[in-house]
Amino acid sequence: MKRITWRAALSGAAAGTINGLLGAGGGMVLVPMLIGWCGLSDKHAFATAISIILPLCIVSIVVYGCHAPLPLAESLPYLVGGAVGGVIGGLLFRRVSAGILHKLLGALILWGGIRLLV
Amino acid sequence: MSWGAVVAGAVCGILSAFGIGGGSLLMIWMTAVLNMEQQTAQAINLLYFLPAASISLIFHIHNRQICWRAAVPAILAGVVTAALSAWAASCLEAVLLRKAFGVFLLVIGVLELRKKPSPPPKRQVPLQNQ
Repeated sequence: MKRITWRAALSGAAAGTINGLLGAGGGMVLVPMLIGWCGLSDKHAFATAISIILPLCIVSIVVYGCHAPLPLAESLPYLVGGAVGGVIGGLLFRRVSAGILHKLLGALILWGGIRLLV
Repeated sequence: MSWGAVVAGAVCGILSAFGIGGGSLLMIWMTAVLNMEQQTAQAINLLYFLPAASISLIFHIHNRQICWRAAVPAILAGVVTAALSAWAASCLEAVLLRKAFGVFLLVIGVLELRKKPSPPPKRQVPLQNQ
C-alpha cells in the first residue's frame, strides 16, 4: 500500500481519538498532519480535513446518543448563532489580519485551559 | 431562547469561517465560562459542527478541493477510533474529562501562540489518482 494511505489513516485515527474523547479539536490535530506529514497544500488540507471530521462527528454523536439523551434543545441557540456568524464571517473574509487572530485565539485557549485545570 | 448562546454561536461561527478553531472556542465558552457538564458541552459542540461543515463540504466537493486519496483511509481509520473514544468519554467521569480537555487546550494554546505563517510545502500530493 502507498505511504500516503498509511499516513492518512494514522492522521485520521488520531483525529478520531481526539474528536470522540473531547468532542472538539479533531481539526486542530488533522490539518497540521495533512500538511506536514501527508504533503497536502494548506487549501486542500483544510477542505480534506472537513470531509474527514464530518463523518467522525456523526459517529461520536451516535455513540454519545446511545449513552445519554442528546442535548438537542440546548444546541438550538448555538446553531442559530452559528448560521448568522458563518454568513458574517464569509462577508468579512480577508479583511482581518490572521496573525492577530491567532495570537488572540492562543491567549483565549490558554486562559480556558488554566480555568479547567485550576 | 438564550441570547448569550446565540451570540457565542455567532462569534464562533465567524472565527470558523476564517478557518480558526471556532469549535474549541465554543467549548471554552460552555465549559470554562458556563461550567456546563463536560459531556453535554461536547455533544452540543459536535452538533454545532454538523450544519456548517455539511454546507462547506458541498462547496469543497464542488470545487474539487478534497484529496480523496488521503480522506478515504483517514475516514476509515478515524471512524473506528472515534467510536471507541466516544464510548470511553461517555463512561469517564466528567471531572476527569474536563481536566483532559484543559491539558489539550494548554498544548493547543502554546502551539497557536508560536504559529508562524506556514511556508509552502516541499512536495505536493496531486489530487487525482494516477
